[in-house]
Amino acid sequence: MATETGTSTDDPTETTGRSLRLDYDAKEWLLSRGLWTVAGALLVFLWIPLLVMMFLSFAVNASTFFPFRGFTLAHYAATFADEALMSSLFNSIQIATLSASIATVLGVLASFALARYDFPFKELYRTFGILPMVIPGVVLGIALLIYFRTLLGITPGFLTVVLTHSVYGFPFVLLMVTARLYTFDESLEEAARDLGADPLTTFWDITLPIVAPAIGAGFLFAWIRSFEDFIRAYFVKGTMDVLTTSMYSMIKYGTAPKMNAISSFIVFVIAIVLAVAMNVGNVTGYVAGTQGDE
Amino acid sequence: MSVDTPSRSESLRERLVGRFVSRQSQLALTTTPGLIWLLLLLLAPLTFMVTVSFLNVNDAYQIVWQPTMENYGQLLAGDGPFWKTAFFDSLLLSYFIAAVTTVLCLTLAFPLAYLLARRGGTTFKVVIFLVLLPFFTMYLVRAYSWYLMFGPSGVINSALVKIGIVSGPVGLFNYGVPAIIVGLTHAYFPYMLLSLYASLDGLDFSLVEAARDLGASRSESLRDIIVPLVLPGMISGSLFVFVPALGAFITPRFLGQGKVLMIGQLIEERINSLYAIGYGSAASMFIVMSIVIAFAVAFRYVSIEDLGGA
Repeated sequence: MATETGTSTDDPTETTGRSLRLDYDAKEWLLSRGLWTVAGALLVFLWIPLLVMMFLSFAVNASTFFPFRGFTLAHYAATFADEALMSSLFNSIQIATLSASIATVLGVLASFALARYDFPFKELYRTFGILPMVIPGVVLGIALLIYFRTLLGITPGFLTVVLTHSVYGFPFVLLMVTARLYTFDESLEEAARDLGADPLTTFWDITLPIVAPAIGAGFLFAWIRSFEDFIRAYFVKGTMDVLTTSMYSMIKYGTAPKMNAISSFIVFVIAIVLAVAMNVGNVTGYVAGTQGDE
Repeated sequence: MSVDTPSRSESLRERLVGRFVSRQSQLALTTTPGLIWLLLLLLAPLTFMVTVSFLNVNDAYQIVWQPTMENYGQLLAGDGPFWKTAFFDSLLLSYFIAAVTTVLCLTLAFPLAYLLARRGGTTFKVVIFLVLLPFFTMYLVRAYSWYLMFGPSGVINSALVKIGIVSGPVGLFNYGVPAIIVGLTHAYFPYMLLSLYASLDGLDFSLVEAARDLGASRSESLRDIIVPLVLPGMISGSLFVFVPALGAFITPRFLGQGKVLMIGQLIEERINSLYAIGYGSAASMFIVMSIVIAFAVAFRYVSIEDLGGA
């Protein structure tokens, strides 16, 4: 074997190593290979439907591979020319921005309360604050629909979706900002105060810059959650349409070409945003809950 | 020195008082806005929903303020005993689908989370990007992408037929329960992965090495060291998969194509076509109660902070 392959320098050591601990090495090799194979298969699983969809978005025949009739950009052109779809996209962007802003302001304030002060029912407050994230969309959507329509008499529409999403986005901000505040070194603030800074200056110059990345991440999360939410918006939207509800009816009434194009477009945009965010800030850290480690 | 003392204690007292007063007002400022929001848009609607589940709606869609158990009776009424009703069927089916999804996510995510926790640098960045991108992609888009894959003329079946492995569409790849489970696993897999990763990342792997040095086998160290230490992550990950899967609506709608009725669809149907808010509220109570029980069990092993992982 060794003479045939002709790699004389490596083979002797490898043979001795194997003869000594063949069992262990083989097991180790198999295990790590197995682990990588599983990981690879999972990534394929996560990606294959999206890749197929992106491929089909450029294909003349939009809903399945066979018979394949070539590539086209016509579906994209038709999608961006669809005024109803574009206006629902615009609605979604407005709603996401407004509701994420509200969620961020409320969430940041509440995070300071939870991280800095002790007060009665603190645990209850925290649990309560995380609840909107945990309650299934169907339940929250219906509860708010009944509440708005029957109890408050508000006609469902833009406002009700913004209110609904502001509550839904709250926990995401709360979790990220409190996690950052817990790892925050409060002696920095004390030092600033000892050096003569008033509380407001301390907040603007010391506290805010340190907490800002977490606030940004929280806002981004709340924004995305609102933008991609279907079920809550579906119940409280009234006659207005947001992007997800437009897409839902597109699928229901079978317009695959446009659906592929708009969906693929969203994947492209999110890929770019995520790639940028991962290289600028510690997005993975925030998502995986390991803030402050780096 | 002695001249200084009174003024110093005076200013200290003032500072203490000032701080106390400002702390109180700061606390009020920071807690109140969120509290008002949560009371008005979470507690009130949910309380009202519980109330409505015990009330009736008249023909003009107005609430009749008279306590009744009729909604619950309707849920469990049918030709036979309650476990043979449509509602109970779909509730059981939802439990089954959510449970299988959770188990699948757990077994699939563990190896990947382990790999991520042990690997740093570029590998980590690339893999986490590849995992996070589908995660950030709209939930609806992901359900839709599986909708293209499945079905009698979907990508999987048409590819199989084209290659010549099968002569006609395979039932397994048609719309139905297996398709829904695949779609839900795809949708909620990242929650599980991130929860497990957060736990595994905090794990001191020298403990595992120590166990191995002391003669524990690989499976023994996995069972006795890793699993107990990662248990909080497993539990919180399972909650984050089970709970939304139980109330799923879009995925069963697209991937069941009317053949499968999960509880979320059942509720939506009654609310949207009949504005049957009493029935919908009563049915929702079963989801809410299931979740309360799931959390009550989970909180015996994890604290609420552990849920921050995902």
